[in-house]
Amino acid sequence: MLSYIAQRLAQTLLVMTLVGIFVFLLLHFSAGDPAAIIAGDYATPQQIVAIRQRLGLDDPLLVQFWRWAARVLSGDLGVSIFSNTPVSRLILQRLEPTLSLALLTMLFAVGIAVSLGVIAAWRVGSLVDRALMGFSVLGFSMPAFVVGYGLIYIFAIELRWLPVQGYKPLADGVGPWLLHLILPTVTLGLAYIALIARMTRASMLEVLEEDYIRTAKAKGVTTKTMLMKHALKNAGVPIITVIGIGVALLIGGVVITETVFNIPGIGRLVVDAISKRDYPIIQGVILLFSGIYVLVNLLVDLSYSLIDPRIRY
Amino acid sequence: MTTTRRRFVQGSLAGALTAAPARLRAQTTPPVSRTVRAVLHGDLRVFDPVWTTANMTSYHAAMVYDTLFGVDDKFEPKPQMVSKYSLSDDRKTYSFELRDGLRFTDGTPVTARDCVASIRRWGARDGGGQHMMARLADTPVKDDKSFQLVMKEPYSLAVEWLAKAATNACYIMREKEAQTDPMQQIQTIIGSGPFVMNQDAVVQGQRYVYDKNPNYVPRSEPAVFTSGGKVVNVDRVVYENIADEATAIAAIRAGEIDMIEYPNVDLLSSLEGEKEIKLEVLNKQGQLGWARVNWLHPPFNNVKARQAMLYLIHPTEVMKATFGDEKYFKGCSSLFGMGTPMENDANIDWFKGGQNIEKAKQLVKESGYDGRPVVVLHATNIAYMNNAANLIAQWMRQAGFNVSLQASDWGAVITRRAVKSPPDQGGWNVFFTSGSVNAFGNPVALSGHAANGEKGWFGWPSDEKHEAFRDKWAAASNDAERRQIARDMQQNAWDFVPHMYYGQWFQPAALRNLTGLIGMPELIPFWNVKKG
Repeated sequence: MLSYIAQRLAQTLLVMTLVGIFVFLLLHFSAGDPAAIIAGDYATPQQIVAIRQRLGLDDPLLVQFWRWAARVLSGDLGVSIFSNTPVSRLILQRLEPTLSLALLTMLFAVGIAVSLGVIAAWRVGSLVDRALMGFSVLGFSMPAFVVGYGLIYIFAIELRWLPVQGYKPLADGVGPWLLHLILPTVTLGLAYIALIARMTRASMLEVLEEDYIRTAKAKGVTTKTMLMKHALKNAGVPIITVIGIGVALLIGGVVITETVFNIPGIGRLVVDAISKRDYPIIQGVILLFSGIYVLVNLLVDLSYSLIDPRIRY
Repeated sequence: MTTTRRRFVQGSLAGALTAAPARLRAQTTPPVSRTVRAVLHGDLRVFDPVWTTANMTSYHAAMVYDTLFGVDDKFEPKPQMVSKYSLSDDRKTYSFELRDGLRFTDGTPVTARDCVASIRRWGARDGGGQHMMARLADTPVKDDKSFQLVMKEPYSLAVEWLAKAATNACYIMREKEAQTDPMQQIQTIIGSGPFVMNQDAVVQGQRYVYDKNPNYVPRSEPAVFTSGGKVVNVDRVVYENIADEATAIAAIRAGEIDMIEYPNVDLLSSLEGEKEIKLEVLNKQGQLGWARVNWLHPPFNNVKARQAMLYLIHPTEVMKATFGDEKYFKGCSSLFGMGTPMENDANIDWFKGGQNIEKAKQLVKESGYDGRPVVVLHATNIAYMNNAANLIAQWMRQAGFNVSLQASDWGAVITRRAVKSPPDQGGWNVFFTSGSVNAFGNPVALSGHAANGEKGWFGWPSDEKHEAFRDKWAAASNDAERRQIARDMQQNAWDFVPHMYYGQWFQPAALRNLTGLIGMPELIPFWNVKKG
């Protein structure tokens, strides 16, 4: 087990290195010059050239890459070209809102989606099943910004129950924190619910056909025990896999949701950085996201052995 | 107090869930009734008003720094930090004395040395400042409160440059910061202005917080533009960077913010029924849409092709596509923008006749245009630029140009516009931008008014006669003389056509229960503002 984890962590480093190189090259070959953006609209070409030189953007690509890579290896993600603030500080400042939104969405989505999937499988072909599957198609096909604006209109502008936008730190109290996260969580969670609910249903349907389920029924176990203990546990591996894969969906969704609800998270940070070509921030955030994604998938792989004792590493 | 559904839900949830205590710092947060929350036109990316010409930085600087002079609503310079000043009879020596009570927010007094260092740093970067510095012989400091600018030749524009509100304005910093290389950003934000930046409450890219400077001593005169007393009537101003326009509109409707500088015009109708929200044009001179053509390469290295552009652009149609309601826009025939002191009607027959595609066709033919692709840079992420590019490209095609419309975001356009190579090697032929009309009113300060070839602004127009007019304008001793020179300059300019305009617009701001906001070009001052 330990050697497997070590091997996977080594792979993680390799993946992050490749991501780092890819992102660096992609950014530097794409159109856009941070010096021109910094200088402002009325700046002369001479002023832009001077800023480029000052920022080291005129250096050969290899020199720039090495400078960045050496910093990253020593744990320094660099400094924002625009604000002169360390990227790590900017990320830390934005971590709480993004983690809050992502974790709350996970909890909300997994809780609802698994329940819906189990019910749909149990009542397969019924009106409930069709309604739930119809809902999941809708949830999956509606863009987050459409859902977001719709929810804002109903719950924030018309009913005035919830705030339109913004974020309150947890330190200001759980109540305000939660109030500001309800609409973003529902917005972000819909697609995730749809994905997990469908997978749960499919996986449960397969398991419910197994002999041991028939045996359990014959032994007279209650429906609840049969579904939750015998069926769901055995259907768990594909569900967990989809939850893990869904993290990428979540990361992409966070970027849009944070923009729509004006949440000062990492998603907003990276969107702003892309529009102004703030290379160190973009590189730092993508490295972070890729690291999170790879680690979540490692955790998912490890969790298989907990659910299914036949799986050993 | 009535119980609304919102309060009930908030109260129930908060009561049930507030296990964690709120931070004590909440006690120091001013109440909403004493806080102005404003969504301005962009993010505040840089804090140094010398290092960038970005307007957001200028807004920030006007909060935390003060200027030696301000301008009134006629753009006449008025003393601000200065108590008295004089110009010698030979127009070579300016003498300034600072008023009493000026202090930086670290408690140190503002001295003449701070002012001289700030002027020198600003003068290294600003167009007007550079014009002045090139003629500056010395800056003797007489005592803590007095200094001089000694010029090499008679010069009348120094006070005008020091008073200008348009970016880069000459904000006074501590000598320590002002000695920073002008090409490098300052690291410390300490000014003597009416507000103090609360850096602990700032979330980069999201929220910028300014608290009232309790030690600021405003002038006694009423506040007019950047002149007069900068009296602060609220405890805090927050710049909220809400990137999504629909969210900003929803937030002001719900009372979560108090102001949007430029609400999306497509969404204005949703605000019109709101009793507490007022739509008001703050910048009465407006913005000017600007088409720059590249003089270095065919076809626009030929005057006939440039003249063709004057005839084919239909400003009203471009403006209508973006702003809809005609009360928000008009065409522009003056080189100096409509409504500025230098506006005039010299040589505008091309404008009076309206769009004339046939005439444009004939001029394109006369230019000897050989059908090569004309690269038009198309910024798709800014609505008015997107519409301008689409429409003008179509009219260019009708006039006979073989247009290659190249789409990207604005960030890519401002990189590519600096490329001087031929259009088929990464260069360009046309790009669209905009600027405050106020800036266009000054033929020397606006770098885009220069026609000094490759040393100039993107497009690199070149005309010796135009440059001679600009020098003459700068040396003029009074406004009447300047207006005549401006007329001559325009007469010449619409013959050689340095650039074109595609309309002038007046986008309203949305204000919720705010009064006293000073409407002026290129700045949103938050002194004088009252809430409720």
